[in-house]
Amino acid sequence: MKTVCKFATLTLLMLAITVCGFAQKTTAPRPETTTQNLVRGVIGPAGSNSSWANYSVFNLVPGSALFPITSTTTVFYFGYTGGTEADIGNMVVYTTARGSLTITAVTPVKLGGVSNPSIVLSNTSVCPVAPSQTTPCIVRFDPTTLTLSPANDYYFAVFYTNDSNNSGISGTQPSNSQTSLSGTYFGGTDYTHLTAGQSIPGASTRSPSFLMYVMNN
Amino acid sequence: MKTICKLATLTLMIFAVSGYGFSAAKAENLERGIIGPVNSNVSWSGYSAIALVPGAGLIPVTSTTTVFYLGFTAGSQVDITNMVLYTTARGSSTITAVTPVTLGGISNPMIDLASATVCPVIEISTFNPCIVRLDPTKIVLSALSDYYLVVFFTASDSNNNAIGLTAPQFQQSSLRGSYISGNETQLTVGEAIPSSLTFSNQPYCLMYVMNN
Repeated sequence: MKTVCKFATLTLLMLAITVCGFAQKTTAPRPETTTQNLVRGVIGPAGSNSSWANYSVFNLVPGSALFPITSTTTVFYFGYTGGTEADIGNMVVYTTARGSLTITAVTPVKLGGVSNPSIVLSNTSVCPVAPSQTTPCIVRFDPTTLTLSPANDYYFAVFYTNDSNNSGISGTQPSNSQTSLSGTYFGGTDYTHLTAGQSIPGASTRSPSFLMYVMNN
Repeated sequence: MKTICKLATLTLMIFAVSGYGFSAAKAENLERGIIGPVNSNVSWSGYSAIALVPGAGLIPVTSTTTVFYLGFTAGSQVDITNMVLYTTARGSSTITAVTPVTLGGISNPMIDLASATVCPVIEISTFNPCIVRLDPTKIVLSALSDYYLVVFFTASDSNNNAIGLTAPQFQQSSLRGSYISGNETQLTVGEAIPSSLTFSNQPYCLMYVMNN
């Protein structure tokens, strides 16, 4: 019995020392942020929808579909399936309470530091493979400092300038069953300058246009 | 001293018991799997069932292993020639890595669906599909990649002519799937997933992708 007790005491001491050792903070650098989905993106065939000059595109990121991870940044990815240049007039994210269309906050979204970029789809550094329905060109916008909450809904609104380039572009448009994202669009009006207190012009009853992924990086 | 010894022994036992309890990895979904009832799709001799595990559908759970679960609805024995997992960049069909997938340590297993240790409920059907857990694959799934699990069912094989694979009724899973005649498990890095496959449907056979 004495031997058992001695052995137990020794083991316990070793355990205590080991635990204490492992509990110390190390100076090792933190690993890079893993790129993770904040919501279920577009899976399977991407589909396509063309001719976007003078259209405001709205994509809904529903709070109810958010994965339970914390991220202080939100990154949007657009998919182009055709065209040579996309000319964006402006882009913003509207925040609403979940299920509401009343805007509570407006967050600018940028690409290359500007909210009105021209995306040269014919440039291989932008689209390594020419955009098509089977090989959409994925464009990553600048990270927005937006922490998504399941208590809110988010509308990513993009206005395509009324020009010939945008008449020739196409964007991904999958079926609704392939993602948690949804969307709608409005012709003839730039709806990207709404302010807090105003309303989103309509509910998102279609599958998402252009928006493919919403990630933390 | 005796009291200290007793206390030490008791503490050690508590450590041992709790350590054992915590060591069991919690099983979690890495992707939204098959939801709701399934149909059956029969006669798979000479076919490759290909299931797409899209990076865009990954649930942000960190895991160093990936475990695939296959569902069978009919038959007595499944004869598999080979199983692999292809990795591609997200949205691309060009293969960047090939990872073997095994059951019982081999990539060409025979699965005895008539055995109660394999399929506890006899007889298997669409109401009672037999779920077979493959060996954990040492791969960390990334949201920036897509993954294709390919299972080739041995050709000219009467067992495989009689098997049924699960075919989901509801389009609610993030998993997609297709099939093609012939052995598509021999593709190598740089080759492409067959362009004739559209992955517009839910997968045959693959039901769940989990960390354990």
